[in-house]
Amino acid sequence: MKNEYIPKLARIVSIKEEVDGQRAIKTFRTQFVNKEDFSFKCGQSAMLSVLGKGESMISVSSSPLINDYLQFSILKSGRVTTALHEMEPGDVIGIRGPYGNGFPIEDWKGKNLIFIGGGIGLAPLWSIVQTAITKKEEYKDLLLIYGSRTSKDLVYKEELEELKKKMTIHLSVDNKEPDWKEFVGFVPNNVMDKKPLPENAIAVTCGPPVMIKFVIKALNDLGFKDDQIYTTVENKMKCGIGKCGRCNIGSHYICKNGPVYSWAVLKTLPQEY
Amino acid sequence: MQMILSKMNFSSWLKKLNSYRIFAPVKSGEVWSYELVEKPENIILDYPNTIIPPKKVLFPQREVLLEFESSSEQEIKLKEVIPEETPSVIFGIRSCDASGLAKLEKIFKGGFEDLYFSKRKNQTILVGLACNIPPSPDCFCTSVGGSPYSKDGLDILMTDMGDEYYVESVTEEGEKLIESAIGLFNDPEENVKKELEKIHLESEKKIKRYIKDIDKISSKLPEIFETEFWDKESLSCILCGICTYSCPVCHCFDINDEVICTFPLKGKRVRTWDNCQFPDFTMHSSGHNPRPDKASRLRQRIMHKFNYFNENCMELLCTGCGRCISKCPVGIDIVEVLEKVRVYEK
Amino acid sequence: MVKLDDIKKECKSILEEGKVKYIVGYKRNNNYYMSIPAFIEKIEETDQLIWDPTCVYNLVRFLRDEKLRKERQKTPDTRPIGVIVKGCDSRAINVLLQEKFIKRENVYIIGVACEKSGVIEKKKLRKKFNEKNIKQIEFGKDNNFIITTEKGKTTISAEEILAERCIECNNNTPVIYDVLLGEKVERSLSEHFRSLEKFESISTEEKWNFWKKELDKCIRCYACRSVCPMCYCDECIADSISLAVKPDTTAEEKAQKIRWVEKSPVSSENFSYHLIRALHLAGRCIDCGECERVCPVDIPLRYLNKKMEKEASEQFGYTAGLDPEKPALVSDFKDDDPQDFII
Repeated sequence: MKNEYIPKLARIVSIKEEVDGQRAIKTFRTQFVNKEDFSFKCGQSAMLSVLGKGESMISVSSSPLINDYLQFSILKSGRVTTALHEMEPGDVIGIRGPYGNGFPIEDWKGKNLIFIGGGIGLAPLWSIVQTAITKKEEYKDLLLIYGSRTSKDLVYKEELEELKKKMTIHLSVDNKEPDWKEFVGFVPNNVMDKKPLPENAIAVTCGPPVMIKFVIKALNDLGFKDDQIYTTVENKMKCGIGKCGRCNIGSHYICKNGPVYSWAVLKTLPQEY
Repeated sequence: MQMILSKMNFSSWLKKLNSYRIFAPVKSGEVWSYELVEKPENIILDYPNTIIPPKKVLFPQREVLLEFESSSEQEIKLKEVIPEETPSVIFGIRSCDASGLAKLEKIFKGGFEDLYFSKRKNQTILVGLACNIPPSPDCFCTSVGGSPYSKDGLDILMTDMGDEYYVESVTEEGEKLIESAIGLFNDPEENVKKELEKIHLESEKKIKRYIKDIDKISSKLPEIFETEFWDKESLSCILCGICTYSCPVCHCFDINDEVICTFPLKGKRVRTWDNCQFPDFTMHSSGHNPRPDKASRLRQRIMHKFNYFNENCMELLCTGCGRCISKCPVGIDIVEVLEKVRVYEK
Repeated sequence: MVKLDDIKKECKSILEEGKVKYIVGYKRNNNYYMSIPAFIEKIEETDQLIWDPTCVYNLVRFLRDEKLRKERQKTPDTRPIGVIVKGCDSRAINVLLQEKFIKRENVYIIGVACEKSGVIEKKKLRKKFNEKNIKQIEFGKDNNFIITTEKGKTTISAEEILAERCIECNNNTPVIYDVLLGEKVERSLSEHFRSLEKFESISTEEKWNFWKKELDKCIRCYACRSVCPMCYCDECIADSISLAVKPDTTAEEKAQKIRWVEKSPVSSENFSYHLIRALHLAGRCIDCGECERVCPVDIPLRYLNKKMEKEASEQFGYTAGLDPEKPALVSDFKDDDPQDFII
């Protein structure tokens, strides 16, 4: 019988500083020490362990099509994530999972996909963006609208530049900056500005709760129906397998039944996230 | 299998079970609790109710999940710690607590299987004792689908018949436990069977607390989710953990790393009971707390028991043992709260 | 003798005048002889109020909830809340005032004198009566209690079932109040630290064994901390994570929070929790006995706090909660303070 609580050991192979300062973000790539089966879906998460500090649930930001490594982009926030930020390539962490439902991307074939992210919220989206771009022929138009408080807070800066060659990307920052040539304003405003069309489209949004709220409102205003809008929710988690009882919103455990929800479903659940 | 065991033979039966670890209610001071019993002949099956239900035997308050060791960041050794295989018997379980264990089994074995609970559960035989007299004035098992002589979750049900016990096996494991000392048991006569039925029926009538229209309440709960009801009902709550720790079905837990030595790193990953009434239960590391006050936490406790679990598993997450009522330091009474839900008008 | 009608009258009048937002008092538990806390907002609700020997709760604890509620509201009702207090409870208000946790104008204190008796202790009661049969307990004349059971009324001397803390109490009349009901009665039931005598006379080893056995029972439900009017810290040393997180709290600050006490209910952690708590209550505990009353596994927590109280009294001549203007015991020092505690 499998013991779900025992993590598999994985080595950090590279660390990239995305954002520094108080709300630092680093991107880690890891490889399992032993050969392990970790097949996952876009939008699923993994429980990362720093032994002696504890565990933290982090979404996988690499594509399931990549077998070499798992990628996690992590905001320094508490005990475990701070410890992760202090680690170096070669260090060993624990990984268990994958957990959660993931995005139903199989159902999205032949559709236009619109990704709308804010800050670290691009990380869970990155997994689908990478997958969709690799299998571009399976989807119609791909569009990414992404913003953060300042240009320094944007993650995957170089990758985004590279990606612009393959798909349409609209970036934004909250306030004016000297060399900023793209949109200035909040992400929902950028969405209203670019007016993506709802026909045969799915919009996926991740970011701070306030941003998500207004992005959904913007999308509704543009004619998107609730079941065309997908987002992810977060709560404190300990077990990751629907037993420890703390991440629930209504009868759903986010770790098991979530974190991906269509707005049509999420809006019927209590706002306890 | 239905048998009669003379009370004089009870300890002889227990002695025959020397290959098992035996747990039973033990009194210390004024407090009864399920403990590992060294001398089974000292077991007294006449007790009010334990403070902590027998869940603590299968789901202990502290459980070491794994041990870790590391001399450098590049090298880590993990050691899985799983419960040892020792067959056990728990004696004297009340029907409410037994059905609680059955519910816990659904939670821990459903979906991802919880190895720690399963290992213990699979090697534990549960011997129940029907409540001829309600062990607490706050008992309300009959309102939530139970009864004082329910066999749900049990391997054997015993009923006190005065000088003897009526012993019924419910499962094969239970039958084996009786057969291992079959010489001590007699077949029940017809009039004893009738007497048993009478005792059971009467025991049900002695339960004073009752929740009217529990199904309606269960489906009404979401309607009053956003109302002031919860603010009012939770006013006197002090946010302690008594109601949940003493609950036979509350199963929420925390996992923490306990460090014994920082260099070289050595420690244990430990699971401990946790509960929805504590502030750190749901608080995000950002400081945001989705259930920030006592109203939202009382609501969570009631919703989980009477609505969410019902939605997921088609049954209530409450066994009517009454512990949360008897032990609440400020007299919050779940039966009354539910009655107020029933009559509440927005 | 305190008349319940006087309490109701006072409560009615302050609600009528709009002097208070609501009143915290005592009402009857519908299914049990004990009282429960009552939150009275409307005039007609004052009829629910009771005053009897089961009014054990220290309602001052609820001032903390009110403070939290106010902090969350955008336009809070700034009127005071009324609270019914016994002598011991009133000293808790003084400590909170002294520590600047509450302001005097935020609370309207309805003091009720315990006169010659006090409140019951369930453990003592259970030894004399079958709890299930008790319908009601009332104050009788002099220092008697009248107990109504299914069989009728029995009068017993209060001292037989009086809480140990009431027997040792020196403040049977509230020391701070806006209105006082009942009479100031001088009384001395017993030696103030009587319960400690037995405990102090045993050897260190016996003490260790005693506490090991008692504290090993602890299930860490934190009811003792939750019920205590003094345990109002935003951030408690017993919590595993930092609860006082503000938007500008850095990740490092959160990560560096030392875990003094693990959640595991094992001897070392239970001892740490209870001893840290006792030390933090030294010179602050007013012996309302709530921690011991609520403990589901009957740990005699009063001994710990009472011992601290005795030290404060004998070493420094200090009694908690008598004067909100004077400095608190541990925030003050004098040149001639005893140094005996330094080993």
